Amino acid sequence: MASNATTYKDLTPAAPLDKKTLNRMVWRSCQLQASFNYERMQAAGWLWAILPGLQKIHTNKEDLSASMEHNLEFFNTHPFLVTFVMGIVLSLEQQKADINTIRSVRVAAMGPLGGIGDALFWFALVPITAGITCNMAIDGSWIGPILYFIICFGVEMALRYGLMYWSYSLGTSAIAVLTKNAKEFTRAASMLGVFVVGALTCNYANVSLGMMIPNGTTINDAGETVANYIDVQGLLDGVLPAALSLAITLLCYWLIKKKNWSATKCILLLLVIGIVGCVFGIFGGAAGDYTTPISVPWHA
Amino acid sequence: MQAILLAIATFIFAIDQFSLTEILYRPIIACPIIGLILGDPQTGLVVGGTYELMMVGNMPVGGAQPPNAVLGGVVGVVLAVNVGLPTEQALGAAVIFSLFGQYAVTLTFTFMSTMMARADKAAAEANPSGITMVNNISMCILGALFAAMAVAAYFGGEALGETLTQFSEDFSWLMAGLGAAGGMMRNVGFAVLLKIMLSNDLWGIFLAGFAAAAVLGNVDATSGAALILIAFIGIAIAINDFTLNLKIKENAGNGGVSDGI
Repeated sequence: MASNATTYKDLTPAAPLDKKTLNRMVWRSCQLQASFNYERMQAAGWLWAILPGLQKIHTNKEDLSASMEHNLEFFNTHPFLVTFVMGIVLSLEQQKADINTIRSVRVAAMGPLGGIGDALFWFALVPITAGITCNMAIDGSWIGPILYFIICFGVEMALRYGLMYWSYSLGTSAIAVLTKNAKEFTRAASMLGVFVVGALTCNYANVSLGMMIPNGTTINDAGETVANYIDVQGLLDGVLPAALSLAITLLCYWLIKKKNWSATKCILLLLVIGIVGCVFGIFGGAAGDYTTPISVPWHA
Repeated sequence: MQAILLAIATFIFAIDQFSLTEILYRPIIACPIIGLILGDPQTGLVVGGTYELMMVGNMPVGGAQPPNAVLGGVVGVVLAVNVGLPTEQALGAAVIFSLFGQYAVTLTFTFMSTMMARADKAAAEANPSGITMVNNISMCILGALFAAMAVAAYFGGEALGETLTQFSEDFSWLMAGLGAAGGMMRNVGFAVLLKIMLSNDLWGIFLAGFAAAAVLGNVDATSGAALILIAFIGIAIAINDFTLNLKIKENAGNGGVSDGI
């Protein structure tokens, strides 16, 4: 149950985190996706990684619990760049910034990093390294895999380490200016956060309909009979792209906010919808290729 | 003995594909190690190098699940060494196992979504070891499922592949249902964030963010960098609001009304 506290009880800034704690969190950041799941993605791994810092910062049990609760909300970023978000969030926690501010900054920082990380790592470093080392391995040399590990892991750890220190000092130096106008900053940060969540709702959309309704046949120029289909998802995209993702988000928002549903209850509801939907061949996309247990006209 | 070592190695690779180094599980490294366990590192190297090149276009990008690299590679080596299949054929026969690897991932991610309630409880009690526990449970489930399948392939070989293919055809709707539900669950995460962040005056901003992503994410030239560009727009809006409110506050201050901040 997320508590509704918006400020910490103890507002005295904590002592800056020492190097040992920061290094410990750099190593812990490797476990970011330890309990990756469909609902909150990296949330529990993220919290676990920054816990040593949070425990140093929040000596009061109530504040630690408030901090742990809001750091367990949806989180997803690039695993190798996560320390950048960690540094900034920890500097805000250390200054006991408003919880809404911390949440918004966290959300705003995590989104863009995903794209940068994928481009740098999966589309550049890994293909290049694989190109160099795979042929060594195919020729039977152990240098291939060893070199591959050294290059990729070396770059990964250097990024984790460098970004942590850089963003922590960045956050600490920027914060003095901002705390003077904390109320205005919280509002501006919330706007940025909500804007990014809106963008994620569309950008991370991963639900689509697979129904293709047969709609008679026509004869093409070559004289062959061609079956026509109505693509329901295509129609929906014409009305509003990612409409389903928006609709489900708003449905869950309504259930959670107005009907006091827990997140778990929403997940179970979606599980039922997903499985029943696939029995009737309604979903496509994330569902992949499948055969329905009962035969329906719109699912081949 | 070989089977035990195989299970341990697969257990570690299964966890490594999302945590630890996130490098060890790559076929080019995992396959030679499996080869070494089975007593034929050379075959492991060849299978690993070949499979790595095949996988380069198949990355875990943006949380999407490609057919699983770990089981594809591990079982590929098992079939190449134990059954004596040529590299390409062994990797081809391993595809069905890699599909089951993906099923194992789907099951774990679905189950762990329900476990988040336990993590919430640990957070409410300010109990760090509760969070550690949730993470460890997740890693153990994933590792155990993978290790079990690797051992099954070790004893079952190609024949098991045929059974699995039949099974996956019969129950494809169930796994598809879990996949479809998994695709929707992130929306619950967004809803929880919005519950707290979305005050009534910010609905327009939320929809504006959605619209910006709908445009930038569907243009080829910008889709890769969509979220960075969206952050730029969001920062512009936020800074504008910040400076505006600051001016209002200053003017109010000049009028003799101070809110004491």
